[in-house]
Amino acid sequence: MTRAIIEVDGLTKTFRVAERSEGVGASMRALVRRRYKDVPAVAGISFRIEAGEIVGFLGPNGAGKTTTLKALSGLLHPSGGTARVLGHVPWKRENAYLRQMTLLMGNRSQLVWDIPAADSFRVLQEIYGIPEAAYQRTLGELTELLDLAPLLHKPVRGLSLGERMKVEFAAGLLHLPRVAFLDEPTIGLDVSMQGRIRQFVAELNQRHGVTILLTSHYMADVVALCKRVLVIHRGKLLYDGGLSALAARLAPYKLIGVTLRDGETDGELSRYGEIDKRGEGRVTLRVPRDQAAVTTARVVHDLGDRLADLSLGDPPIEDVIDKVFTTESVA
Amino acid sequence: MRRYLRLFMLFIGVEAQYELQYRANLVANVLQQAMVIVTSVAAVLILFSYTDSLNGWSIAQMLVLLGVYYVVQGMIDLIFRPSVERLMEQVRLGTLDYALLKPINSQFIVTLRHMRLIQLANVALGLVIAVAGVVRLGEGLGALDVLAFIVALATGFVLVYCLLLVIATLSFWFVRVENLLVIYGAFVDAARFPVDIYPGWLRVTLSSVIPIGLAVTIPAQAIAGRLAPESLALMLAAAVAAWLFSGWFWRRGLRSYTGASA
Repeated sequence: MTRAIIEVDGLTKTFRVAERSEGVGASMRALVRRRYKDVPAVAGISFRIEAGEIVGFLGPNGAGKTTTLKALSGLLHPSGGTARVLGHVPWKRENAYLRQMTLLMGNRSQLVWDIPAADSFRVLQEIYGIPEAAYQRTLGELTELLDLAPLLHKPVRGLSLGERMKVEFAAGLLHLPRVAFLDEPTIGLDVSMQGRIRQFVAELNQRHGVTILLTSHYMADVVALCKRVLVIHRGKLLYDGGLSALAARLAPYKLIGVTLRDGETDGELSRYGEIDKRGEGRVTLRVPRDQAAVTTARVVHDLGDRLADLSLGDPPIEDVIDKVFTTESVA
Repeated sequence: MRRYLRLFMLFIGVEAQYELQYRANLVANVLQQAMVIVTSVAAVLILFSYTDSLNGWSIAQMLVLLGVYYVVQGMIDLIFRPSVERLMEQVRLGTLDYALLKPINSQFIVTLRHMRLIQLANVALGLVIAVAGVVRLGEGLGALDVLAFIVALATGFVLVYCLLLVIATLSFWFVRVENLLVIYGAFVDAARFPVDIYPGWLRVTLSSVIPIGLAVTIPAQAIAGRLAPESLALMLAAAVAAWLFSGWFWRRGLRSYTGASA
């Protein structure tokens, strides 16, 4: 078996946090004697990621996504388990490893606000020891892909959130890493900017084969970019596999949307399947996946001319994911 | 080593560009610092209109000391302090993570990345005063004196650098440690007089825990021809010890930071 780019085996991370009760009195007592509680943020997860994959990391807040990313990028020393990225143990933070990876956090900026990004880029070039020719090539490419030209020479302070994120992306990628960890890269951005960033990530992956592990609260990011997802909840890996397979497994039904010209009478549509919802003249039916086609044909056959509109589709992925987190298991 | 030197020069270049953007601010700052220095020189002159010697320090030697004080203070505020303040901020905001993921010595990038070049004015004015003092001494400077001065000055910087690094490292555990910098600042003011005029506890503090007194007085003694060689040797030894300790403490702090932060 060839070596995967990222190999994680039984990774655990337990934080010791000071316990505090409410009130001034409790706070005073806490000053003298702290009580600690062990909180498992990551409770033994294992996975492998091959070169060139884009993998989405899904989970609610506090599920352990960021902790895992930090351990893999070398910022956190795990409490147990092993991990290898590009053959390195991340938390040893060897220069040979750091030169080949990047961690981008959507809510944390690495650029100095007072100076233009171009100056910060020069410093990064020197830190990573990027030869001038390669630097110019990469910067040119990033400038083109992200439309950076008008942004590079303004102090970062003066950029909008979206513009700043583009510049942050460029800063994190100047050394053309082989592995990129993206933590909420589109957080707070408007829809069109999210789209731009998404497109850019896909481009980066295709052109340079960068292996990407990303977390996002926006399912659209994951749907657009990731064929494969890891679902994590309370520090445990609940699912590892294709996004569409996840939907099929979690939601073994499809939705048929029916709109009748003359409206529905006496709940007549309920005989075709469970009613998912009714509204604005449209009825959504929930039918088992394997019967979806046949049922649709029956609807067409029975109702014929009365049909104003008909649709067949998967339930929204948000609902599917939400179901995982509330039931805490993948059936 | 050469790579680090190049990087350091680049840091200077980047910061220079930034500060030159704000010309009015630059001029105002230089004027303000000049005022502060002129006032303190005047204070020394007034003091010496009542006496010929301050615990054995003549007026010329005092001017040398004052000059050295502004050189030392200026250099520290020029290079170390801005970075240390920035580090504390980064620990609070969580952006230190980025610095730690660079393929480069973390202590180097964290303690030398930022500077306030405007402080060069302080250094230059300090040099002027020190030179004026030397001229007034009228004894001429031997090569050995100059050498001792340079060694003492460099050693003093190392000592203060180590102190600031230790203070900064504390932020890994306590997050908010700006007040320690304020305490440090209060002691820095005291260093504009020779440490040997102070009562015991303050003298000891200024020469040990907060070695800014040593960093100013010893180089000034060297140039004013009052230096005992064993003081310099002792200071060198202290600097080596402080360097080793602060480096160890920094790595320890980093381990704790990466071991605990979420």
